Amino acid sequence: MARWSANVPTWTPVAVADTTNFTDAGHMSLQGGTATQRINISEVYMGGQAGASSPSIMLLARDSTVGATLSVGRLAALDAHTAALGTNPVVFNTATTKPQRSATLSLLNLSFNAFGGIVRWVAAPGEEISMYGASASIGETSLSAFTGGTPGLMGSHFILEPF
Amino acid sequence: MRSKRSQEGYLLIDHRESPGVSADLVHRSGKDAPVVGKNATFESATITCSHCQAVVILNPLRTRPRNYCAACDHYVCDRPGCLTECLPMKKVLDDLHAASVHLIGKEPFNG
Repeated sequence: MARWSANVPTWTPVAVADTTNFTDAGHMSLQGGTATQRINISEVYMGGQAGASSPSIMLLARDSTVGATLSVGRLAALDAHTAALGTNPVVFNTATTKPQRSATLSLLNLSFNAFGGIVRWVAAPGEEISMYGASASIGETSLSAFTGGTPGLMGSHFILEPF
Repeated sequence: MRSKRSQEGYLLIDHRESPGVSADLVHRSGKDAPVVGKNATFESATITCSHCQAVVILNPLRTRPRNYCAACDHYVCDRPGCLTECLPMKKVLDDLHAASVHLIGKEPFNG
């Protein structure tokens, strides 16, 4: 299947502990579009945009509570000839029912300074992080800040492949 | 034959134009994240655990052997649950999908 970019051009992470409600506009989450949709995440990128030092503890993790009533964010196919999906995965940072990060299912722990810092993780082919469906805990993955830092303005994207 | 190195991903943390983060901050958080200081760049291979899909940032100073599962021919992480039995996440997802197809009676179209 085709690869897509889910992105949030500019946002400020809000640091929260595990299994605590995310704050609207303070996280970047990806949820499957249907109960049977499979998604592979092959790249995670964060680019700092802060105007002052903002050390951040960022976690890519599965969510133990998934968001509901989502405000759909940006999703674009990488190839211009990609056909429309039956149902799109949903990238969002605003929801009525707030997602919560799993306390045990952290996938990637990263620390960076959003004042000029850049982070890029790329999976080897076949080694992507996978998701299935739209329910906890494997149906939603989030990029969010863990407590302890002072997160600052940044932009981020996931490269993903829905099936 | 596939090399184990073909399973490696790539991580870049670029603080060349940034004050970076301190070891103290990372250690206080309790998270095991790489510490990349001012004007420094960190590049590392990563492996994705076949069983839980956690991404392991390879520490070049590690002297203990990496955990490897011969059943799925894959590196696995240090979590105890990943060392006791071979249950690859890909198989879990395939089984879930098979159960879904069985329930709804047809292959779903997601695009």
